[in-house]
Amino acid sequence: MKKLLVILLALAMVFSLAACGGTEPAPEGEGEGEGEAGYEIAMITDIGSIDDKSFNQGTWEGIVAYAEENDITHKYYKPTEQSTDAYLAAIQLAVDGGAKIIVTPGFLFEEPIFIAQEQYPEVNFILIDGNPHNADYSVFRTDPNTVGILYAEEQSGYLAGYAAVKDGYTKLGFMGGMAVPAVVRFGYGFAQGAEAAAEELGITSIDLKYHYTGNFDATPENQTLAASWYAEGIEVIFAAGGLVGNSVMSAAEAAEKAVIGVDIDQSIESDTVITSAMKGLAASVQSALDAYYSGSFPGGESLIYGADKDGVQLPMATSKFKTFSQADYDKVFTALADGSIVLKNDTDAESATDLGLSIVKITLVD
Amino acid sequence: MDILFLVVQQTMFFSIPLLIVALGGVFTERGGVTNIALDGMMIMGAFTSILFINKMHGSMSGQSLLLIAILIAVVTGMVFSLLHAYASINMKADQIISGTALNMFAPAFAIYVARMIQANGVQQITFVNTFRIPKVPLLGDIPLIGGFFFRNAYITTYIGLAILVVSVIVLYRTRFGLRLRACGEHPHAADSVGINVYKMRYAGVVISGGLAGLGGLVFVVPTSTQFNATVSGYGFLALAVMIFGQWKPMRVLFAAFFFGLMKTVASAYSVIPVLNTLGISSDVFKMVPFIATLIVLAFSSKTSQAPRAVAIPYDKGSR
Repeated sequence: MKKLLVILLALAMVFSLAACGGTEPAPEGEGEGEGEAGYEIAMITDIGSIDDKSFNQGTWEGIVAYAEENDITHKYYKPTEQSTDAYLAAIQLAVDGGAKIIVTPGFLFEEPIFIAQEQYPEVNFILIDGNPHNADYSVFRTDPNTVGILYAEEQSGYLAGYAAVKDGYTKLGFMGGMAVPAVVRFGYGFAQGAEAAAEELGITSIDLKYHYTGNFDATPENQTLAASWYAEGIEVIFAAGGLVGNSVMSAAEAAEKAVIGVDIDQSIESDTVITSAMKGLAASVQSALDAYYSGSFPGGESLIYGADKDGVQLPMATSKFKTFSQADYDKVFTALADGSIVLKNDTDAESATDLGLSIVKITLVD
Repeated sequence: MDILFLVVQQTMFFSIPLLIVALGGVFTERGGVTNIALDGMMIMGAFTSILFINKMHGSMSGQSLLLIAILIAVVTGMVFSLLHAYASINMKADQIISGTALNMFAPAFAIYVARMIQANGVQQITFVNTFRIPKVPLLGDIPLIGGFFFRNAYITTYIGLAILVVSVIVLYRTRFGLRLRACGEHPHAADSVGINVYKMRYAGVVISGGLAGLGGLVFVVPTSTQFNATVSGYGFLALAVMIFGQWKPMRVLFAAFFFGLMKTVASAYSVIPVLNTLGISSDVFKMVPFIATLIVLAFSSKTSQAPRAVAIPYDKGSR
């Protein structure tokens, strides 16, 4: 009897796995058009999965779109852990697998790429969200086989903050993930955008609660914090921290308040998302890949993708604004693109309260 | 006042899953099998039930869907816990190692299967929360109590409290409970009077698996809009709650609410007028439950209520 049970259990597991395996090939290490040369375009994932609805996913989508259009082999590699050694091992794996150009999203790759660009001079690297430097930040060097891509997240945050206040919100919240440069830029831009819109509208006071959760996860703690903010009167929270957004959305659904998403258009995830502060990850990866294959790889450079290069945007088509119109958006976007609005970013202010804003009252919550 | 209501309501979101899972821990440990795989079992329960909610979205919604999901979570937890029961009872394996193996297996399994069967190949399973009860009819209108317990609530809160009542009755007022406790205290004595120790221990582990699976679902539903193969280590926290509660259901209730309240305060203190002006770092509130657990353990180690035979495989032949 007991043996029968064991055999049944074992069979059930085998069959359930087999059944699962039959539907679709594994996305892990997914590769298209494998040839003798291996995979030409490789991506190394940052912490988090390939479908994090944020960095990794956005980058990978750009690679897939470009590679499929031009019929180039591509594959992603997931490091075993978050450390320079593990990232280097993954890069080596990619090079051994025939990679000619390696895309790495996330500032955590700054040090691994600094080492790898010297180690593999025949391979090209696209480093997104950072510039290569050594372990103690004493040497910054981008070799001719490497390009660093940064985004003007403060412009994206600015658009979101501007739109929110223009749309009638006066009590705002910012919940960032870890206080990494990209997240800090989002937050600073958000505050400055709110300030600009308030000035135009003649509003005398805007409340902004400002907090870094210290993680990129959906946890009850984050949900509780968001719920408490909403209960206290905050009308919209800009959730700039990956899955932190899902906790905020959950709280917003209960409180019937609003959320601003981040990185990609998050409007499908919850009806509470009124807009998203997007970064053009896929577009910039595609243009960098295009430059590589057309022989004009901007090696050694550090590019900043802002409104001028369509590196930031709000998805106006799916946004749920009451009064903020496409014309309003175009106006502010153009001003950002032509440089008539200059913003402070993470290197200009130590903390959000140092931004020198007069209308927006920032309350730091730690 | 609204803030006070909010704190109590949020405390429920922390405390009820902790309570349910810790009660599961009480059953298995009282039967003499330690189960550190509670975390993994929560993940498995949450995984299958959230997947069910995801698939049924559109054709069903509201409380009936949640009730079926609860059943699925319980059954999943029970089946998954059989692995632990078999390893630790029949094979007399080290229960910590068996539990660790299951804890490592569960998230990997959830991610792998989610990617296999979801059309877009992602590991997150999104769900639409149609389960929140804005206000329980009649009861929600009671002053004070209505605001605390019957608004912005989930049916799972009441189920959790019902499980507590049932646990107390089962453990202390039934023959099964007495036998189960005997198997955890002195299995040889229990065996000598004709109790089948293996069966009782199986029962304890399976009950804990069912409750942990349910706890996983209860944990995820109010606090996110998707399931990402993790319960943020709440299975381990539930173990701490169980120890803090000294393996007694009513004390576990107290411990769960204490932990939940501290978690809520640590997150929401900035809007609680009294605490906000005090200038205490949120880290202090985050530490309190664990420091309290350490203190309780330090002072109660001599009179610890831990079942005597917990984590020791029962071998009929020994002695």
